[in-house]
Amino acid sequence: MAKAEYSVLGTSIPRLGGVERVTGAGIFGVDLMLQDALSGGILRSQYAHAKIVSIDTSEAKSIPGVRAVVTAADAPDVRYGRTTIDRYMLAKNRVRYMGDPVAAVAADSPAIVKQALKKIKVVYEPLPVVLDPEEAMKPSAPALHDDMPLPKNLPADAKVKNVCSYTVVHMGDPDKAMAEADLVVDEVYETKMIHPQYLEPRMAAARLEQNGRLTVWANAQAPFAVRTDVAKLLALPLSRVRVLSTDIGGGFGGKASGITSGAAIEPICALLALAAKRTVMIVLDKAEETISTTIRSGAKLYIKTGVKKDGTIVARTGKVVYDAGAYSGFGAMAGARCTNMLGGWYLTPNVHIDGYVVYTNKQVCGPVRGPGGPQAAFAVESHMDSIAAKLGMDPAEFRLKNMPEAGDRIVGVPKLRDVSLGETIRIAKEKIGWGKVKLKKNQGIGIATGSWIESAGPGGGAMVKVNEDGSVTVHIGKIDMGTIPGFGIPLIVAEELGVPVSDVMVVNVDTDASPWDAGTVGSRGIIVSGTATRLAAIDARNQLFRLAANQLEASPDDLEIKDKQIRVKGTPSKSVPLATVATAAHTAIGEVIGRGYCDNKAMEAEEKAHGSSQPFTAHACIVEVDPDTGNVKILRYVAVHDIGFPIHPAAVEGQIEGAAAMSIGQALCEQVVFDKNGRTLNPSFVDYLMPTINMMPRIETTLVHGYPGSGPYGAKGAGEIGCVPVLAAIANAIYNAIGVRVTKLPLSPENVMRAIREQKKPAS
Amino acid sequence: MSLNIRLVVNGTRHRAKIEPALSLLDFLRDTLGYKGVKICCNTGECGACTILFDGKPVNSCVVLAADAAGAELVTVEGLAEGGRLHPVQQAFIDTGAVQCGYCTPGFIISVKALLDRTRNPTAEEIEEAVSGNICRCTGYTKIVDAIQIAARQLQGPTGLTSKARS
Repeated sequence: MAKAEYSVLGTSIPRLGGVERVTGAGIFGVDLMLQDALSGGILRSQYAHAKIVSIDTSEAKSIPGVRAVVTAADAPDVRYGRTTIDRYMLAKNRVRYMGDPVAAVAADSPAIVKQALKKIKVVYEPLPVVLDPEEAMKPSAPALHDDMPLPKNLPADAKVKNVCSYTVVHMGDPDKAMAEADLVVDEVYETKMIHPQYLEPRMAAARLEQNGRLTVWANAQAPFAVRTDVAKLLALPLSRVRVLSTDIGGGFGGKASGITSGAAIEPICALLALAAKRTVMIVLDKAEETISTTIRSGAKLYIKTGVKKDGTIVARTGKVVYDAGAYSGFGAMAGARCTNMLGGWYLTPNVHIDGYVVYTNKQVCGPVRGPGGPQAAFAVESHMDSIAAKLGMDPAEFRLKNMPEAGDRIVGVPKLRDVSLGETIRIAKEKIGWGKVKLKKNQGIGIATGSWIESAGPGGGAMVKVNEDGSVTVHIGKIDMGTIPGFGIPLIVAEELGVPVSDVMVVNVDTDASPWDAGTVGSRGIIVSGTATRLAAIDARNQLFRLAANQLEASPDDLEIKDKQIRVKGTPSKSVPLATVATAAHTAIGEVIGRGYCDNKAMEAEEKAHGSSQPFTAHACIVEVDPDTGNVKILRYVAVHDIGFPIHPAAVEGQIEGAAAMSIGQALCEQVVFDKNGRTLNPSFVDYLMPTINMMPRIETTLVHGYPGSGPYGAKGAGEIGCVPVLAAIANAIYNAIGVRVTKLPLSPENVMRAIREQKKPAS
Repeated sequence: MSLNIRLVVNGTRHRAKIEPALSLLDFLRDTLGYKGVKICCNTGECGACTILFDGKPVNSCVVLAADAAGAELVTVEGLAEGGRLHPVQQAFIDTGAVQCGYCTPGFIISVKALLDRTRNPTAEEIEEAVSGNICRCTGYTKIVDAIQIAARQLQGPTGLTSKARS
């Protein structure tokens, strides 16, 4: 299908940068070898909540080989944050989670760093610890941020504490509709904190240059946000900070959100470099990462739905209690998203949902892959099955009954343009054998759906430079962590400029040279940089055509470019090599540099006028539950996704399969576990269980065609939505297998057995 | 106290003076510069640092450099021959099994060890061979595809490099 229309778009050409990755070239942040670099390390709080009475660094400083020791006293009195500015890079006067950075050391070797960190004497005065956000909301709870006011939009009668953000969703008259419903189902779901556990540890390096500028290397998803935050926290002019991106060994949102995600590792490293007047590099230990960097928050989800006998949903009410952790981090955005999504993506005319994002003494919420989405969808889609069971309806039928159509409104989206939800459900049913497959004892089948935002957000640009040999250099502001720079971007350039993909280079982000970008976040790679790159390539092509027009004695409009030849349409013999024209540019316009920008205002206007073309998905699976141990094995797993036009199908499938795997991990085993003092009990990979190949089914992915998105060529973002339906799809299959509804994640043997026992209790 | 060791890495002889507590991973990465051996969990759980130690795959983070005295090691840097990728390397690129690529060197070494043993592995043998390697990007689907393609390549009439493209 794609091939007829395009020459390379829609094909799965091997990624750029593949050879470096399979041969072990040292291209990642942790592989950097900077001349005469010192090792840096961070001292972290051993209390989840305490006053810092004093810090004595004198002994640490006296150790031979120690070049700098810094605390909050050495840094400008500046705080950071995304929505609430509530955090110092090094804790000042107070620590709020076990992992809060307190001091940092730069020394000649990692061993000396370790030794010095042990010699920093911090006197703490422990304060009461609060880990459960519902406890933290109570007026009797200890205040975690005395100087942070409660959100202004809180309801007047809300008697709450420690709330850092509040969202309300309201449509129609839910009270009246609920009262008039034939059936009301009221449930509570709970998800736990997981860590994204990208494999490459977080790193930062900083070097003070001779001219007084500071060069910072970061394996961060948002280099420009890192530049802004580093400059601000060190009280330097923005122009004195340059951030260089490396290739990134996984991020999943865990390395996004500026410096928030890495617990300020970049400015701390820069502070050390300034103090030591030497280059410093910090690489976090993996167990240190688990306790200190940003995570996917746990949430408690109250959900209540009124339906008519025929299965029509009439009302939804609910409450989200979203754990921000010790600081606001990305909590306000993730919590708001979760609150909206608890309203579901079905026709629901009357809705009221309150969303509270709450401080606790745990590590901080980040924008981890589909922030807020999987939590909400676990509740929504498990709940849909509970309602269907009470109605005696087929779960898939019940969903189809409440399906929105083009032009309809759903919670958080005033108008939908295209709705692929029904088709994804239909295909998922067919692929899994819904109603047909013979299930053995203790086997069950489940389905769940999901959606994700496609609304406009922060943008970004692209520059496409045509070199004199006809090769092309592309600058975008997005980093490579297995995402668009190696996959979609080179295809777009090759398509528009008629060059082989192997002639396209995509440059790593350098804030001195790359166009500004908000970061590789929010499934926006293809939408932002794809759009910008396409426009930049077209701009470059137009420049080339203007330059070639004279020589070919034709109008620029009559030219085309194929196989690195610019030629007159219909007269292929009249042609000039791309390289010749690109070289001629040197004496005419300097260089062919195409510029493009993702115009979010235009995208927003388009969405307002025609509606949102957001992606939908349905996942279905078959599981087998061992009723004696509670162990769940996934026998088959089907993922059906509308992501618009797949520019690089293998990359899109890879995103979906990886996202599904991450949520399968969250469903079955992943969880950051705390003791009552707020100490993480499973920081290392020995204890933090993640899916290995043994527990993974083959994910059978189907891409649905025919629902164009707002990205280039009709593409939609694909990085996050695969996480959304998984938790409920598995929980629903467990319910189908053994008739037990597990409402608390993970769906581990322990929790499944507990649910089995609890269900037996009221009957006896 | 430091030790003098000799060993062979990817066919090259090395002599070094090392501290007894130094891990083989740190030795390979920081002393000898084999950055293709990836650092991650440091607990032998993720497989990113997998190398061949006298032909057998090991997690180099939980082996002491001292224990590698006299050993013959192969890292991912040692697989391509004369600029031509090993079929396992090529298959990982071709199938889209390389997303971020951080786990890739470890996987490739584990798969090479498997295919050195058998060129016709069963699904169970494939699963077993990479059960100690964690990938967070792919969901393993395309990695399994890559392993099967590499195995088929190696079954080819002229062995190792018959159909490999570089």
